[in-house]
Amino acid sequence: MPFINEILEYESLSIVGLEKNVGKTECLNYILNRLPLHERKVAVTSIGIDGENKDQVTATKKPEIFMREGMYFSTAETFYKERRLVSELVDISNERSSLGRIVTARVTIPGKVIISGPSSGTSLQRWIGSMQQLGINLTIIDGAISRLSSASPAISKAMILSTGAAFSSNIDTLVRKTRFVVEMMALPLLEDTSIDLLRDKDNGVWGIDIHDAIKDFKLSSALAINTTDVDITQEMKIIYTAGALTDRLLNAIADSKNIRQVTLVVKDFTKIFISEGAYRIFCSRGGKIRVLQKSKLIAVCVNPTAPNGYVLDSDILCRKLEEALQLPIYDIVKNKYDI
Amino acid sequence: MTFKLALDIDCGIRHMYNALYIMSSCGRKLQLSARMMTTESEIEAYYYQLNEIYNSDCSRIAHRLMYLKDIETTIKRLADGTTLSDIELFEIKYLAILSKEIWQMLTEQSITVIQLPCLDKVISTLDPDGLNIASFYIYDSYSDELREIRKAIRHLQGNGVELTDEQRQELAILLEKNADIELAIREDLSQALCTYASDLQQALHNLSHLDVLIAKAEQMKRMHLCFPKVNTSGTTYYRGMFNPAVKEQIATQGREFMPIDINFNHTPVTIIGANMGGKSVVLRTLALNQLLTQFGFGVAAHDCNINLVEEITLCIGDEQSVSKGLSSFAAEILAIDTIIKKTREGVNILALVDEPARTTNPIEGTALVEGLLQTIDHVKGAFILTTHYNIMNDQVKRYRVKGLHNGVMDYTLQETQCGEVPHEAIAIAESMCIDSQWIENAKKNLNN
Repeated sequence: MPFINEILEYESLSIVGLEKNVGKTECLNYILNRLPLHERKVAVTSIGIDGENKDQVTATKKPEIFMREGMYFSTAETFYKERRLVSELVDISNERSSLGRIVTARVTIPGKVIISGPSSGTSLQRWIGSMQQLGINLTIIDGAISRLSSASPAISKAMILSTGAAFSSNIDTLVRKTRFVVEMMALPLLEDTSIDLLRDKDNGVWGIDIHDAIKDFKLSSALAINTTDVDITQEMKIIYTAGALTDRLLNAIADSKNIRQVTLVVKDFTKIFISEGAYRIFCSRGGKIRVLQKSKLIAVCVNPTAPNGYVLDSDILCRKLEEALQLPIYDIVKNKYDI
Repeated sequence: MTFKLALDIDCGIRHMYNALYIMSSCGRKLQLSARMMTTESEIEAYYYQLNEIYNSDCSRIAHRLMYLKDIETTIKRLADGTTLSDIELFEIKYLAILSKEIWQMLTEQSITVIQLPCLDKVISTLDPDGLNIASFYIYDSYSDELREIRKAIRHLQGNGVELTDEQRQELAILLEKNADIELAIREDLSQALCTYASDLQQALHNLSHLDVLIAKAEQMKRMHLCFPKVNTSGTTYYRGMFNPAVKEQIATQGREFMPIDINFNHTPVTIIGANMGGKSVVLRTLALNQLLTQFGFGVAAHDCNINLVEEITLCIGDEQSVSKGLSSFAAEILAIDTIIKKTREGVNILALVDEPARTTNPIEGTALVEGLLQTIDHVKGAFILTTHYNIMNDQVKRYRVKGLHNGVMDYTLQETQCGEVPHEAIAIAESMCIDSQWIENAKKNLNN
């Protein structure tokens, strides 16, 4: 039974997909079916909508979420009323989504339910807090299409990545694109004494010079960088952007003659929005990126079937991904992985 | 006037509300919709309650009140005879359990001013197994048939393995039956609870009220506020009056607020004094304390006795509404005109006007202010204005800010007879380290 024991080492897990229909829900069901509930109190929520049996966009059949007895789930009032299981309400949150308030319940008779919980980063953090008050020791967040934010280390400590033919139907492209995302997730932590100076900075672009003094570049974000401005890398050993990292800042540093002396730092991988091409040029000139926080990527799951019917060869796909990522790759649907 | 409207009066009342730590949204709702109290008896009854809370340790109760949820709509639906959903039944049970818990805490503390209705019957109806925990579902023990159906569902769903088409159909039928029985039980429960709707409403209201009282008592201790005495005889006095917002502000600069004594009645009052002497702060604080009293808060003074009014008007001369096409002067004159009309109608009003006619020339300005004091020579509530003009009227009470002494500002008020205003503007401007040539020239002009 792959990676279930690894999950148990963490108190929070998020499952993120690189595209719709990459098998995220299959992956969630796989985990939910196998977690040892006598050891752990588990709560599940989703930042999108999960468990509906038909895709709202492609109208293809989708797996539903099956909840076992004793599990907790948080979903919107509307979906709670449509549940196909018996459950005991334990909490109603003050937060509202467009589908009503978010309620938390414990399953008393197993069955299926559509899950749609809090969606913003801060409300997820509050959710995890309130689950801990209920004595939950493993929270699982199902992410939504192309939103990696729920996997931010500020929210969950571990993650599982889903990728598949829906992301790209060309194996090589799929491998290359997935590898880039995994590479960003694996960026090393910043090891520098000045790291504490950066932690409480929530916006703007900051620098730390060779004397460990912090400097505010007075830029509202990295988007405000203009390549014709003065070189911000002058005398700096660290450039930190508290918000999004985009090609503009990356290119500005790549073009600087100090590129080898300076380390570019971001909060975590969810803040990175750079293109692979720009990153490769940056690296080849000696640039390096570090993060302040990191979460553990436990496994990569693949779904070789795209919603348009296109099917990739699962074995080749898994092998190529494994070679490129140096990580265990699982095709959950094909292999079943029964207990 | 509701408290929500009073928040727009620019006297610092919003600061007090922001620093009032009400735990629940229904507590905040109750405070915002509170009407200004105007009779001695209701204000005294309110402070009697606040006093008991003030003298008890309510920190644990306050913590529990964080979990109070505003379920007014649910209670209303229950009263209307609607069949409630299980989410709504959960809310009802939650409120009933919370109310019982807080009732026990109140009893422990011997607090008697807040009464909570007994909701034991509601709890037992929604807790057939006597588990006494705040969670809810349609329990198996409500119906034997339900128990059997659920057993069958559990048997089918088991460990989540793929079902055959036949089993799937069977499951669908069972789930539908389960839902039908649950609905019937919810109907019964809603009907049985319907008679307790007013008790539940009472509990929600009293818990919200308790939340507000605890917040006010906590604020009084934190900000050193006092319980006011109130009267309807027309006289008001404050000893050691202070402005909480200004006090906090200057405390950050390491300075202390100088408390102020003042008393007044139906005779108009003028306050004169140097610039930066705190005249406007006095007016704002008088408005603030009047609101605090009549909305049942602690009052910012050492002690006080306050004449109750029906209306409070604070006119601080920045009513300029360009959007209405009025200049600052015109807006001010119109605002004062409204005060005159109200006092003539005999409205019991506390009218506070900061430097009327300040934006026009001193000769006409003086005439306007003197004329105003002749027009309003007696009010049902009180009429207080500040001015820099030499006002010669006899029928007014005069206060003067003590002002600069050896370069230090004394903000206290002293009663005075003469109308002559202090001439300290240039000295004060000079103490602010501004352009020296400007000061020299001004002095020269004054001596000519």
